[in-house]
Amino acid sequence: MIVIEELDIVGQVIAGKVASIFIREKSDKKIELGDLLVAEEIDESYLILQVYNLAYGSQIPPLVRELTAGLKLEGYGGSLEFLDPKLRNYVLAEVKAVARVSETGVRIPKVLPGFFSSVRHLKKEDLRFLEKPPNPVYFGKVRSGSKILDVDVYLDGKEVFTHHIFIPATTGRGKSNLVKVLLWSVLGQNKFGILVLDPHDEYYGRNGKGLKDHPDAKTDLKYYSSKPFAGANTLVINLKSIMPWHMDGIVEFTDPQLDAIHLCYEEHKDNGGEWIAAIVRGEEVEGVNPRTLNVLQRRFKTIFGLWVNERGDLLCRNEAFSNSAGESTTSDIVQALEKGKIVTIDTSRLTDKAELLVGSIVINDILSRYQNYKGEGKLEDKPVVSVVIEEAPRVLGIDVLQNQGDNIYSTVAREGRKFKIGLLAISQLTSVIPTTILTNMNTKIILGNEMATERHAVINSAAQDLTEDDRAIASLDKGEAILSSIFANFAVPIQIPLFEDYIKGAKEGDKFSLRKEDKVLFR
Amino acid sequence: MEKLEVETFSRAMDICIERKVDFILICGDLFHVGIPDLAVVKEAVTKMREVREDGIPIYAIYGSHDYTPTGTSIIDIIESAGLLVNVVKGRVDEGKLKLDFVQDERTRAKLVGISARKIGLESKYYEILDREILEREEGFKIFAFHSGLDEFKPDYLSQMETVPISFFPRGFDYYAGGHIHDRSENNLPGYERVVFPGPLFTGYARDLERTAKGEKRGFYIVDFDDKITGLEFVEIRLVNGVYFGYDVTGQNSLQAQKDLKEKISQLDVKGKMVVLRIRGELSGGKTSDMNFPNLQEMLLQGGAVYVHLNRFGLTSREYTAIKSAGEDLTTIESRLFQDNIGSVNVSVPGLQSDLGAKLSQDLLRSLRGEPKTNESKRDYEVRLRENALELLQLGEVLED
Ligand SMILES: Nc1ncnc2c1ncn2[C@@H]1O[C@H](COP(=O)(O)OP(=O)(O)O)[C@@H](O)[C@H]1O
Ligand SMILES: [Mg+2]
Repeated sequence: MIVIEELDIVGQVIAGKVASIFIREKSDKKIELGDLLVAEEIDESYLILQVYNLAYGSQIPPLVRELTAGLKLEGYGGSLEFLDPKLRNYVLAEVKAVARVSETGVRIPKVLPGFFSSVRHLKKEDLRFLEKPPNPVYFGKVRSGSKILDVDVYLDGKEVFTHHIFIPATTGRGKSNLVKVLLWSVLGQNKFGILVLDPHDEYYGRNGKGLKDHPDAKTDLKYYSSKPFAGANTLVINLKSIMPWHMDGIVEFTDPQLDAIHLCYEEHKDNGGEWIAAIVRGEEVEGVNPRTLNVLQRRFKTIFGLWVNERGDLLCRNEAFSNSAGESTTSDIVQALEKGKIVTIDTSRLTDKAELLVGSIVINDILSRYQNYKGEGKLEDKPVVSVVIEEAPRVLGIDVLQNQGDNIYSTVAREGRKFKIGLLAISQLTSVIPTTILTNMNTKIILGNEMATERHAVINSAAQDLTEDDRAIASLDKGEAILSSIFANFAVPIQIPLFEDYIKGAKEGDKFSLRKEDKVLFR
Repeated sequence: MEKLEVETFSRAMDICIERKVDFILICGDLFHVGIPDLAVVKEAVTKMREVREDGIPIYAIYGSHDYTPTGTSIIDIIESAGLLVNVVKGRVDEGKLKLDFVQDERTRAKLVGISARKIGLESKYYEILDREILEREEGFKIFAFHSGLDEFKPDYLSQMETVPISFFPRGFDYYAGGHIHDRSENNLPGYERVVFPGPLFTGYARDLERTAKGEKRGFYIVDFDDKITGLEFVEIRLVNGVYFGYDVTGQNSLQAQKDLKEKISQLDVKGKMVVLRIRGELSGGKTSDMNFPNLQEMLLQGGAVYVHLNRFGLTSREYTAIKSAGEDLTTIESRLFQDNIGSVNVSVPGLQSDLGAKLSQDLLRSLRGEPKTNESKRDYEVRLRENALELLQLGEVLED
């Protein structure tokens, strides 16, 4: 038997069953909700326990306690005390065993801690098994209740990105902050091509700190915006690069409209490819009812923000689409992804549909390329691709999928893994996403959520049994989270750093200095 | 080929004189190389002198091909002779690149520009460019540049290094672009008129092919007073082209040769420039079994003024070493380097991945350079070596 140093002991196992073990708290120690405790076993192995409930325990019958309290409150017994109060009144912690660590590894615990065994707080050394994996993605530090341990939590990006990441939480709980931290940690590794659709223009750090402050940002981060600052790329996609199927499940069309779209597309396919422009300009299509074309014309104008001026030029209101510029934008983005760069797209000026379409165009392209690579046996060498999408129910919601059918995002969620493409879906709501998709998202970073239905939806689809964590999730503070992943040994409580703190002390990127030949040019 | 190029240039200059243009702006790459064949230079300079004597100033910026290892290129010499004015004037002040306008006396037009950089991309200039002073300047403004632009490059050039247009100062009246070999007139908010005229006439494979297919080559004449009032593309076509593409897939070398011969004999090539593009996979025989000189000879006898043969897309099932889907030599090389750079184990970042591939390709291109007419073997060697050292950025390291 290993003897825990007397000082460390915080309690003792006294009763319970699997997933509900009772520990009596040592009188001068404090056990908090969410605390991680350790019960050591004979053979150097140990159990990690997590507190999910606290209650009072007492040797004194309730009636006596009530009476005593009454006496004290009403001023009858100033010096009235119980005999040995430390022994007779105490706190009971209800805990569950979350992991069993032994020489052979970390397992889901299948044993109870020894009866009457002492428990202590978890220490840094107990988590030595949380090693830094080869392609690390950073999530934060291990948290025991509200105490932060100096143990970094990483998972292997090759695994987590392909198997989808889901980040559920109500607004303001730190979803965006987490994504920033996570992206920062992989920027420059060139192992992940990450497409970030950024409707709040918050990741790049156009105003304030952001990914752009990373030392490798210059080479490995691209930024597209319809209002670019100097040196940024213009988000402008040529209408010719849009194919009818890019709109699948994103824009709803009637059957006659779909037929018209296909006829028009076929007509222009080998002939400049300007099918959208043709519809918006109101050109006739053989065999299509002009009324249908009229409706399509109107709808396309809204979707793409297009209009035709007096001179007959096609113009785009949100400036993200064009019939002349931006021919290679999609290829440029896809190539950057294939080189393992992060591409952030500022979609803050686009409509919802336009944002989803921009994403769809790029994802369709990368997906078909990766499918080809797979066929040619070349996929192995390609970086994993991940797509960051906010408000995921827009594309993964049950109602959307039922009414409009699958879209490229749900396709990726269902089968992207085969082609090394995953989603990083951010959402306030979980309950509206089909379970089949939720269970496919094998890493969930659960932040605070006060809505019970949402918590239950998350818990029901988590990689570990989190039934007891409902209350803990409800009370998670900003930046506190539970990392539940099939690639983690247990559901790890984490503290996500505030991005601005996390990046402190980061090196600056190389500054350009003029070379000899340049100086000659600018005498 | 050279002759056609020179003649086209002369023709363009003649048109400028005839049309009494106020000035001429050349956005780089007047020649293919920093020290071109002196015979070509002589012709060009003679013509430029005529233009100058007619009172038409010529403005220019440097193109990617206008550099030499020693630092002095033929453009410098032409400028020293007073035949043209380099409009890239400026200095680096507190880390910022401050450019000065060059004002054309007669029209009061203000010109400013950024040349291509010899090594790597001129994006470095743009990063430190002080845009504000340029945007504040009043008057009719022209911005001359020699780079591809992300937003306007055709999809097939997506591998090409280009810069985002947001680097340019906004609100100029005209953005005159060099470097891109396709003609295009573009606009985006803040950049009303971004024009690439494309080359006048060049012997590059892809250009030839496009020219033969009917792409118009020429230059722009821009009318303006305080704003632009007209934009006219002036086509120059000294010879007509014929393009003939042929896919051998499914045939063996003998069949393909026979069929090609027959088809080619039916082409009307008299007085024309012919571009032959042969691709596909031979089902039998080697690609070298095909007698290309013979086909070329046939065409020349049929009266073709020039025959260009492109067979980079030709492979044989019997011989499939490293297949490349590339369109032209540069693309193929680029892809091969990129595919294989990973297997080179070095720790210097500049020799790895994209940078490494780019460097390898530049190095190969530089070492492949042929001796110039009149260049002694020794000079040639020195030049190649200096070029290579320069590319490797070892010039200073090895200098002693
Ligand atoms: N890990 C954290 N630690 C401390 N504060 C945080 C953390 N994450 C977020 N915050 C704070 O909460 C605010 C909202 O965070 P944000 O990431 O924008 O939430 P969400 O995207 O979920 O709406 C941030 O401005 C930040 O100040
Ligand atoms: Mg957010």
